[in-house]
Amino acid sequence: MVDVRLDNWLRRYGSPAKDRVDARTVQQLIEVLEGRYPGLRLKLRDETGSLRPYVRVFVDGEDVSGTTATATPLDGARTIDILHSIAGG
Amino acid sequence: MPKDNKVRILVGTRKGSYVVIGDRTRRRWTVGPRAQEMNEVYHVVADPRHPGDLYSAANSTFWGPELYRSRNWGKTWKEITTPLSPPHKARKFDGGDSPASKVALKNLWHVEPGHPSQPTTLYLGADPHFLFRSDDLGSSWAPIQSINRHPDRKNWGPGAGGACLHTILIDPRDASRMYIGMSSVGTFRTDDNGRSWQPTNKGVECPFLPPGQRYPETGQCVHHVAADAANPDTFYRQDHGGMYVSHDGMAKWTRIGRPLGDDFGFCVASPKGAPGRAYFVRLDGAGRTTEGHFQVHEWNDATRTWKKLVSPKQFPGHFGVHREGIATDDLDPPGIYVGTTTGQLFVSPDAGKSWRLVPFAFPGIHSVSVAGPSSG
Repeated sequence: MVDVRLDNWLRRYGSPAKDRVDARTVQQLIEVLEGRYPGLRLKLRDETGSLRPYVRVFVDGEDVSGTTATATPLDGARTIDILHSIAGG
Repeated sequence: MPKDNKVRILVGTRKGSYVVIGDRTRRRWTVGPRAQEMNEVYHVVADPRHPGDLYSAANSTFWGPELYRSRNWGKTWKEITTPLSPPHKARKFDGGDSPASKVALKNLWHVEPGHPSQPTTLYLGADPHFLFRSDDLGSSWAPIQSINRHPDRKNWGPGAGGACLHTILIDPRDASRMYIGMSSVGTFRTDDNGRSWQPTNKGVECPFLPPGQRYPETGQCVHHVAADAANPDTFYRQDHGGMYVSHDGMAKWTRIGRPLGDDFGFCVASPKGAPGRAYFVRLDGAGRTTEGHFQVHEWNDATRTWKKLVSPKQFPGHFGVHREGIATDDLDPPGIYVGTTTGQLFVSPDAGKSWRLVPFAFPGIHSVSVAGPSSG
């Protein structure tokens, strides 16, 4: 089980601030979250399954965002942070 | 439309949507609360078949394209289903469908309420060059594959604003006849309820192509098209390559903008209360702004003449206006509304004789539309 901390902005889509998830990869973790909180569907990932460009995933503090982010294994991981980039103007 | 006799200007901006409320005099306005403040709102529109219903095509930089609906003139909004890019046949909100598409939906551009005879039908235009239809007021969407998988699609590319399907027009006499406009592709027409589509760009020049190749069947960068309310076969078109009119359901186009010199621009509107008139905001083709002052040009299709509507001294500056940036109401005389990329909202309550600025600095404006009573 890993602890997940979620971006405050995601609360408008029904996300909690924290949760605990049993998952082997980032993709599995997101699928579990999407199942528990359907409002998150298509917010973290687009319909191709890719993380949206401004969604950042940190595994125990390390940024794993990018094209291979969803395949990142969570073996031994304790804390996952899902945030959005500071961008725009 | 509204039973309360109010005129509402629906404004889509870089930072959310607004409902601006006035009365039939159109001289005093109250700016309502902002919604979808994190999103780039490319279009806000009222559904005249269901008074109070508004739709907002709100694109989030962070969380993707989102579609919102209000059932109370914008007092509250709720996110509804956003369609998925093909190959999904249809999608319902929270339907649990698994991601499988090869191409992600990038932005929502235009929501068009369906024909009055089809009171639960909506159309949605999106980037990349996708058209969707809902027959349950947005609870689910189905892709219109005759466009989304059109055989000419391999030749379609994006314009500077993206691969946007931005114009959807329905013939008021016949729900099965529709017209669409797509950046860098041009206009298409269907006469069989969307089963097949034919390009309708004859006579429209592509000045960005080499000599001898400037009148292709498709590839025109249409910016916006407005239908004439009195004659559904007449259309006014602002293309990258100039201003045009068609009198035969887009079978052919005639350029009308040459007397203006540079007839570049993005937007056009034609009011119900002034048939045969079309309003364009001419921009300098290099700077993409007005040339030193705010200006609107009126085309009189009967006399085939142009008229400038704004005193050059009244609003000095270089103003940009996007493709959905002009709208007209259904009153007599018609009101004209123009939103700029620097957040000004100009209003003429008398068909362009006088102009005022709504005293509110909006974020950069993408779109303006009007929900109001008719002159009848």
